[in-house]
Amino acid sequence: MKVGYYPGCTLKGKALALDETTQLAVELLGEELREIPDWTCCGATTPLTETKIANLIAQTRLLIKTRDAGYEALVTTCPFCFSTLRRANLSIREDELKRKRINTYLAEDLRQRDYETPPPPYRQYTGDIGVLHLLEWFRDTVGFDRIKRTCINPLKGMKVVPFYGCQLLRPAEELAMCDPENPTILEEFLEATGADVLDFPPRIDCCGSYLSVAKPEAAMRASYKILDAAKRIGADAIVVTCPLCFFNLDDLQPEMMKHYPEFRPIPVLYFTQLLALAMNAPVDKLGLESHKIDPRPLVEKYSVNISREVPA
Amino acid sequence: MSRYGLFICHCGKNIAGTVDVEDLTKRFEGEKDLTVVENYAYLCSDPGQNMIAEAIKNNRLDGVVIASCSPTLHEPTFRNVAQECGLNKYMLEIANIREQCAWVHEDREAATDKAEAIIRGTLARVRNAAALEPIKSPVVKRALVIGAGVAGIQAALDIANSGIEVILVEKNPSIGGHMAQLSETFPTLDCSQCILTPKMVEVSRHPNVKLYTYSEIEEISGSMGDFSVKIRQKPRYVEPDVCTSCGDCAEVCPVVVPNEFDMGLQSRKAIYIPFPQAVPAVYTLDTEHCLGLFPLACAKCRDACEIGAINYDMKPKIVEEHVGAVVVATGYDLYDMSNLGEYGYDRVADVIDGLYFERLLSASGPTGGVIRRPSDGKVPKEIVFIQCAGSREPERHKGYCSKICCMYTAKHAMMFQHAVPEGQSYVFYIDVRTGGRDYEEFYRRAMEDGVIYVRGKVSRVYEEGDKIVVRGADTVAGGPVEVRADMVVLATPMEPSHGVEELVGKLKIGCTADGWVREVHPKLRPVEAVTPGYFIAGAAQGPKDIPETVAQASGAAAKVVNLLSNDYITKEPIVAVVNEDLCVGCRLCIQMCPYNAREWVEERGVASVNAVLCEGCGVCAAGCPSGATRQDGFTDAQIISAVEAMLGGSGEMVRKILGMSGDGEKPKEEELDAEEPVTVLK
Repeated sequence: MKVGYYPGCTLKGKALALDETTQLAVELLGEELREIPDWTCCGATTPLTETKIANLIAQTRLLIKTRDAGYEALVTTCPFCFSTLRRANLSIREDELKRKRINTYLAEDLRQRDYETPPPPYRQYTGDIGVLHLLEWFRDTVGFDRIKRTCINPLKGMKVVPFYGCQLLRPAEELAMCDPENPTILEEFLEATGADVLDFPPRIDCCGSYLSVAKPEAAMRASYKILDAAKRIGADAIVVTCPLCFFNLDDLQPEMMKHYPEFRPIPVLYFTQLLALAMNAPVDKLGLESHKIDPRPLVEKYSVNISREVPA
Repeated sequence: MSRYGLFICHCGKNIAGTVDVEDLTKRFEGEKDLTVVENYAYLCSDPGQNMIAEAIKNNRLDGVVIASCSPTLHEPTFRNVAQECGLNKYMLEIANIREQCAWVHEDREAATDKAEAIIRGTLARVRNAAALEPIKSPVVKRALVIGAGVAGIQAALDIANSGIEVILVEKNPSIGGHMAQLSETFPTLDCSQCILTPKMVEVSRHPNVKLYTYSEIEEISGSMGDFSVKIRQKPRYVEPDVCTSCGDCAEVCPVVVPNEFDMGLQSRKAIYIPFPQAVPAVYTLDTEHCLGLFPLACAKCRDACEIGAINYDMKPKIVEEHVGAVVVATGYDLYDMSNLGEYGYDRVADVIDGLYFERLLSASGPTGGVIRRPSDGKVPKEIVFIQCAGSREPERHKGYCSKICCMYTAKHAMMFQHAVPEGQSYVFYIDVRTGGRDYEEFYRRAMEDGVIYVRGKVSRVYEEGDKIVVRGADTVAGGPVEVRADMVVLATPMEPSHGVEELVGKLKIGCTADGWVREVHPKLRPVEAVTPGYFIAGAAQGPKDIPETVAQASGAAAKVVNLLSNDYITKEPIVAVVNEDLCVGCRLCIQMCPYNAREWVEERGVASVNAVLCEGCGVCAAGCPSGATRQDGFTDAQIISAVEAMLGGSGEMVRKILGMSGDGEKPKEEELDAEEPVTVLK
């Protein structure tokens, strides 16, 4: 399956480390993941709006670009992009009325634009492009077994806990990745990197999400409970998939320390940072310097300076 | 000229409230062959029936239409009236103007128009009807009961005690079903085994009961009064008549597996008896776990058996039996806990379901009746019971209420309070439903005995050290609540017995969307399955507690005895009939018939109908290319004239649209598009 890479806006700004380590890890895996040319916005939170068509336009445009670039599927690491694209795609595939509407709209839109060189005629989009999260691609296409073999620097002894966040697994019937009440995919991934994965019940709790904008103290309280639980069971780091979880769990920690005197900080890592480290990437290539809670003292303990040969 | 009568029922306000009955009556008065046109408040009442009887006798009517409720309700009533007055009962038809008209419409005028159309159609059917005679066939005076839990046992005993022979088939090695697993029973707290095992023994020793355990239904054919059943006896590899259940074989068997009867809380060997009181008291060799029926691999049990009861060469056996009626008593299983990720069953060892807890409570259970948690055998101090764990949740699990969980949870929590007085039990509930005599009192007693009820759902169950954290909402106090417990018991819903879909497919009886066996009428015919000759007992029909199960089993048995007390059964003559002069012998009908009712007659070169097997579905009549098969009660003439009368259009048109012309000509496009005067109701 030919797969294109979709970083999305956050990964080119606030979560640059997630983008860079994704590309690095995929390269070390010996796979190729090229950005979809001329990619645009995923549509973000538009699925929440009650409109007949506006909540599908951005997603469909992007999926059409993916198709026209010759890809069969798109892979993304941002759970928000993943959720909105997968759900929009599913509704186009399964809802005949929505499919008709969005295609009629986009065809008309193309016709009315004043292009210097007229574009090729509009091709109906039927929802046939796959939308994958990187974790899913790792599991179903690359295989966790192969990742395990490629991790030449298994992180044995590093005690990590997984944190899923809210967007990756729900609504389960649409995203259909893993049981949202008892997920296993992140644990399986972390085990492949060789790290010691601790049982972490708050792994499916809420980090506070956008409340960090509207009501920062509420988001801080939610994140504090998660981090405190991780600390109490003796975790060295908490591993996330989502830039917003990362922000709430990492950026809010300095403030937390002021609020909760007994609180001790704990580093937060993107899953791709951990993967790249396990594949023996140099520490200075992991984008760790921008973290509020510096994970380098921890990470350097597990970094081994050996010459690298990527196994075939 | 023939003389017909039309009687229109008000059904109180049920019909008259929407349909203008007086106006409707006027619309038919004066039609030349309608000798009688009457309306009455309640035709089904005694005076109503007398009115019809008098009219038939006095006017020597040739046919009658009753415009009233659905024929499923009172067609037999009115047809009996007709028959008693000397009118062939198939010359009386019901025009359903209640369920199909008055109840579903509001506009009085349009509803009256529709009622008129329905009556005109039915009148047309009657004008084209022919007198028919019921079909008689002999009854085999034996009954089959499928499933030998408490429902099957009760039904079998009741039938057998009436002097009728019963074939009782159970798929498991022992009879008894789930009730044998239970400890005490609500609301009286009498011991389940103490009241069940005498019945188990009684049924196994009854001279009129032929018991097939470890057996399943392979195939069933025939119809009410005469079924032919093939039963597959799975090999036990132990001769049941020789085995004395001494247990020497199990002692030497090297294979240890979890015992299903104890929900895996205790182990058994590959050769085993499910529980000490099992009936028959015979060991069974479980080939799935046995090292192999290959004496070189292991023959320890055979060598240990001094009386030579073990026979590795046993083969599955098919036995054929003939019966006149079938009772389906296949019971239930519990919904699998692993479907409920939020309740932690896969991750936390001490999350169990109700049947596990019954085994923990049972004096003959793996812990001798001491409540110990599975993980470390400690007596729990705090237990959380979660009700509606997977029921009343149509989006993700079962939509229905499993009915018995409120009561058994109250029992579990109360029994725990009695056994561990210093302990504390919590019950999370949505509603507490205790319909039944002494049930509410039982629930109150549970609270008085110290059980704490928390109204709300549980969102998460996880382990923290030695404790299980149960997080949920308390919707009475308002806010989140957390209980740190030692054990969690999920009240998972009942669902149809696993594997019953396959059986139901073989029996060709109807099921609900959830897989429960459906009855003919939920109120008036609750123990009869939709297919004649089949009866339902117990939880096969839906969640039921023991009292209800036993009552229904006795009801089903009474129905069976009722049916089998006849030497002959009469069957509605709504069957296919062949005009052998027209039959060309293509045998299409034989392939089409779902009931094996069409038979090839070699000497005459035609396909005949076995009227006893024929269910009158009409497939062969519709499919017969030479028009040789007719469906009595639904002849082409009746259907076409009825549709014609209802539409008020041309009969030729109807004939073409329905493709009944027989001349093979397709209707032309423009004909199909032509506007026919059709009354459209708002």
